[in-house]
Amino acid sequence: MIKVERRPVSDPGIDENAKKLTPEQIEGVIRHVLEKESAGRLRTFVETCIHCGLCSDACHYYLAYKRDPSYSPVAKVRLTLWDMIRRKYRVDAESIKMYARISYAECNICKRCSMYCPFGIDIAYLMTVVRRICGLLGVVPQYLQDQGNSHMYTYSQSWVPQDDWVDTALWLEDELRMDIRNGRIPFDKEGAEVMYSPHSLEAKFKTNLLTNIAKIMNVAGVDWTMPSFDGWDSTNQAMHVGDYETMGMVERMHFEAAMRLKVKKIITSE
Amino acid sequence: MFEFLTSPAVYQFIRGPLVWLSFMIFIGGNLYKFLSMLSLAKKDKVVFPYISLKYSLRSILHWIIPFASTNWRKRPGMTVITFFFHTCLLVTPVFLIAHNALIKESWNFRLWTIPETIADVMTVVVILCALIFLMRRLVVPEVKFVTFGTDYLILSLAVLPFITGFLAYHQLLFAYELMGTLHILAGELMLIAIPFTRLNHMVYFWFTRAYTGSEFGAVRHTRDY
Repeated sequence: MIKVERRPVSDPGIDENAKKLTPEQIEGVIRHVLEKESAGRLRTFVETCIHCGLCSDACHYYLAYKRDPSYSPVAKVRLTLWDMIRRKYRVDAESIKMYARISYAECNICKRCSMYCPFGIDIAYLMTVVRRICGLLGVVPQYLQDQGNSHMYTYSQSWVPQDDWVDTALWLEDELRMDIRNGRIPFDKEGAEVMYSPHSLEAKFKTNLLTNIAKIMNVAGVDWTMPSFDGWDSTNQAMHVGDYETMGMVERMHFEAAMRLKVKKIITSE
Repeated sequence: MFEFLTSPAVYQFIRGPLVWLSFMIFIGGNLYKFLSMLSLAKKDKVVFPYISLKYSLRSILHWIIPFASTNWRKRPGMTVITFFFHTCLLVTPVFLIAHNALIKESWNFRLWTIPETIADVMTVVVILCALIFLMRRLVVPEVKFVTFGTDYLILSLAVLPFITGFLAYHQLLFAYELMGTLHILAGELMLIAIPFTRLNHMVYFWFTRAYTGSEFGAVRHTRDY
């Protein structure tokens, strides 16, 4: 693996978990993701890239790091996917730490590079494949993995269980009535026009944002509702972890909530 | 070596059976690549559900016309070089008088041809553009960072038929017989290499663009150019 300049950053989710990896586990996971889970897109994109570097200017990391070539989109593929493929999946834990750092912390999957690539190679997708490998190996930045775990345990991103969610919305409604006479935060209104699904933080430390939305909806006279049951949270950090099993569950719950309430539209925040 | 390469038997072989063989590998290999890509694309959950003819064509058109996409406009120098390189690379061999004379001898038909002087200039253009590509690989940091031996190899494979063709036409460097032989060999090597190296972007270009164009247009309702 070639040397790239990086300021060392310690993250228990990456450093501690990488210590537990065995070579067989690493090889097995990479083989599973690259050969079983991925198919046409991965192979075609990797075989088509002509290494021209025209994607570089698309990347805000590349520009922000003063055009350091190791931050260009194609360089990130070169340091992760090509590296695994060239070494026939036999890579060590240090490499996995590097892959995790690059895919989680040096790319935020914005897809701008796909708009710059003459072949339309979806480099962001290639980075999600790398994240999937790191996610399955459990080598994930701790804060992100924590949010992923929260989705598993509480069905919301920030450890807000369903009873807390209802409780929060009820006291927000009380406070709303100081500003708007008979203001309502209507739960479970079947057949409403709109289901508003908040960001998880609106039920935790940024409740004023939910109040703002409630004010807008009340004053505008929108026929709106929110689910009192699980599926209210619109966020999905499991997707960023690479935990597609939890991601699927979260996404399904969200849409099933809308189906159950028979709403016409879903409005999400931020 | 020189005598071996210029012996009539070798000449007959490389201008006869080897041409057939390389064209068969070129066509068969590309067909195989295409079919294997198709079967892999079926396994990928999102490729076929996303694909849309309208947005595929929109995407391809914006990228095969110079300056029709944002990145082509942001990199005018690279755009001009790329389009000159690829146009001359494809047009020169197909419409060259000498090549068409050979086709006429064998099958008694020929395509339109371009005047020899223009073909000569186009050959030089290909070689110069390839030199610029080579310089980019050696000098530009973001390109240098992702350059491997294979990148030099495929660049040489693409440009060798033009260098040898130019030298043979002007009867430079080696005797015409040897240079001609080398030229045919270089062309055959390139044809054989296309399906099995990243030169197959010639085939894949249309499909990667079609997929991304469809994903951006039909699914995300935005532009990819």
